[in-house]
Amino acid sequence: MSQPSSSHGRGPHGHETHAHDPQGHQAPPPGSGRVLAWLESRVGYSELVKLLLEEPVPGGARWWYVFGSVLTFILTLQLLTGILLASFYSPSSTTAWASVAFIQDQMTMGWFVRGLHSMGASAMVVMTCLHLAQVLLFGAYKAPREMNWIIGVLMMGLVLAFSLTGYLLPWDQKGYWATQVATSIIGTTPVLGTALKKLLQGGSLYGNYTLTHFYTLHTYVLPGSILGLLGLHLYLFRRHGVTPLWTQSREQLVKKTQPFWPDQLFRDILACAAVFLVVVFLVIRSHGADLESPADPASSYLARPEWYFLPLFQLLKYFEGPLEVIGTMVLPGLAGALLIGLPFIDRSPTRDPARRWPFILGGVVGFSAVVMLGLLATSHDRRDPIVIKQRLEALEKADMARKLALQGVPAEGGVAVFHNDPFFRAREIWEERCVACHSLTGTGGDKGPDLANYNSRAWISGFLADPNGRLYMGPARFDKGMKPVEGTPEEIQALTEFVYGQSGAPDTDGAMAKKGEELFHAKDCDACHDIDGTTPNAGPNLKGRGSLLYVVNVITDASQPTLFNTKNKMPKFGGRLSPQEIETMAKFVLSQKK
Amino acid sequence: MADHPPDPRRSFLKLLTGGFAAVIGAMAAIPGLRFLAHPLVKETVTGGEEPLRVAAKDEVEVGRPKRVNVVGQTHDGWLRSDGVKLGACWLVKSASSSEVRAYSTVCPHLGCGIDWNAATQKFDCPCHGSVFDLEGRCVEGPSPRGMDELEVVTAGEDIKVRYRRFRVSIPNKEPIG
Repeated sequence: MSQPSSSHGRGPHGHETHAHDPQGHQAPPPGSGRVLAWLESRVGYSELVKLLLEEPVPGGARWWYVFGSVLTFILTLQLLTGILLASFYSPSSTTAWASVAFIQDQMTMGWFVRGLHSMGASAMVVMTCLHLAQVLLFGAYKAPREMNWIIGVLMMGLVLAFSLTGYLLPWDQKGYWATQVATSIIGTTPVLGTALKKLLQGGSLYGNYTLTHFYTLHTYVLPGSILGLLGLHLYLFRRHGVTPLWTQSREQLVKKTQPFWPDQLFRDILACAAVFLVVVFLVIRSHGADLESPADPASSYLARPEWYFLPLFQLLKYFEGPLEVIGTMVLPGLAGALLIGLPFIDRSPTRDPARRWPFILGGVVGFSAVVMLGLLATSHDRRDPIVIKQRLEALEKADMARKLALQGVPAEGGVAVFHNDPFFRAREIWEERCVACHSLTGTGGDKGPDLANYNSRAWISGFLADPNGRLYMGPARFDKGMKPVEGTPEEIQALTEFVYGQSGAPDTDGAMAKKGEELFHAKDCDACHDIDGTTPNAGPNLKGRGSLLYVVNVITDASQPTLFNTKNKMPKFGGRLSPQEIETMAKFVLSQKK
Repeated sequence: MADHPPDPRRSFLKLLTGGFAAVIGAMAAIPGLRFLAHPLVKETVTGGEEPLRVAAKDEVEVGRPKRVNVVGQTHDGWLRSDGVKLGACWLVKSASSSEVRAYSTVCPHLGCGIDWNAATQKFDCPCHGSVFDLEGRCVEGPSPRGMDELEVVTAGEDIKVRYRRFRVSIPNKEPIG
């Protein structure tokens, strides 16, 4: 440290250079050249560059060798997009979904960055399979490269662990329920299962610590591990060199040797560019990654894992009860053990696939089985009406949740986003209690009136013209229902205004309503309907008709004497729904008016 | 290998390789940087843009400033919170004018909270000794400008204030965000 003049290094051509030596035999290069020379003398970067780029490739550059570089490229892309996402993501059960929804729908290029990360994960799995297949075909797992094969298999495991942990982080329905399956499987591990599951989840149930644990695994533990293994993988790769085609003789290999840079790197970069363009294309086409509605532990959701776990998911279907462990642990464990043990099972020195055909065949059969299982899972889901219905409902709900999240998500987080919609609960009640008789589609209810555009002038005049029509009391099949009102269009318009005005609507045309009231009496409407709010009659008392209180009364008990009395067929909801729920429903019905 | 004679094919390959690498790099970097720069182009924490009710008109007496909290809705990233304290202000009714004025409690010097000193009938900043009169003018101390006046909207009997924060330590009143 105290002897700056002694700091010297080896230059690009191997001879010693002295950066601060004014008497040096080389004139100091100008500008940036000087800085580089100084840097060279201090760190000797050219040696590193040489080490990285000038590796000889025996037998010459080949497209077969690109997979490792493409994987390194995608891993880099994943690390960078991961850092970007982590800068705006918040791992807790109340904030995870909301922060991801914000990234996806409100941040500049958020959908693209998130899409790259998600699609990059798929690309990683695909390229891992291709890399594995190439290594298998070339016999690159054989001595002396056994350790590198094992490291590669371990890295493949890490790639899958990345996907598994990343899938949960958005805390949406899909990630939440699919990961439940994965952690439940871990929970079935003999002896240690319960403890393992608790440790991983950070408790017996999913919560904040599940997210912080998965986040830590996904952003610290797994990246650290995979980078460490990648370092070892590359070190061993360079130590033993590329595994050339089995057909080339030693002499041919030497004769055709080419440098890594640029001959091989050109092919590598081109392959990276091709994969990247495909990923970008898919991201743009799908507008980024899916984000379903927030995780709802109270919902029943058909969990499906990401596509590359579908084979495991399908396998599970064939082993039930006590045999389940075969699908969850035994078979996947055997497959892993076979992969790791391959170099020690196939110990013949030949790398010619024709002379190792049982292993190549085993690989093809194994891979085909995995693909088949995946396809079976997909085709089953495509044909299952329950799955299709559930998918559609999930998409609809996701769309709604994300639209509501644009207003900001309340601090309760996640599903509380639905509280942004005052009628969310009303819609739920409508689906549970009302939809069997009423409709909101404008096509008629099953046993009661269609309430689309309820209490609008159009609805009322339609009712007056045809009270027993499909849209009105027709489906209720009253014994002695109301007769159609006869009159000129002007008279009907005046009567409509009068009935409309009963709700106290501020936009009532007073003069027209007055005219309507005269007609109301002139046409003997008052024979069946009173308008004082207290007198029962054959038809409902029209005082306050269409107001909040009136609709509340109908929902609470439509058989009240001033309403439908003995004619009523609608169930009483007073006592079944809380007063607040009834009021919400009344507001919901009134909100149908366009 | 490094000592090969210059090979035009290899030079061209090097150029192409570099070019492709640059294109991929740019295609990933440009959207990535735009994503990262989101807080530069859009406010991530907002609130108080609309006038918020802070007091009733008759609660403010002449010559007796009243400190009120400004409570409203904020958007902080994805989070929407209601009933959040955005800040506080002093409501002042001077003898010369019947209008109520509002001054932010944030000292324009370094952002401390300004108090009312009933004995001296002046506003004091407890941190570095800036003193302001009833009109918010700085009469003593290091503050580079007077107290920051906030827009007051009177609606019926209500006093509403549009709450803003301003950059401190500069002579001009510059809103933040």
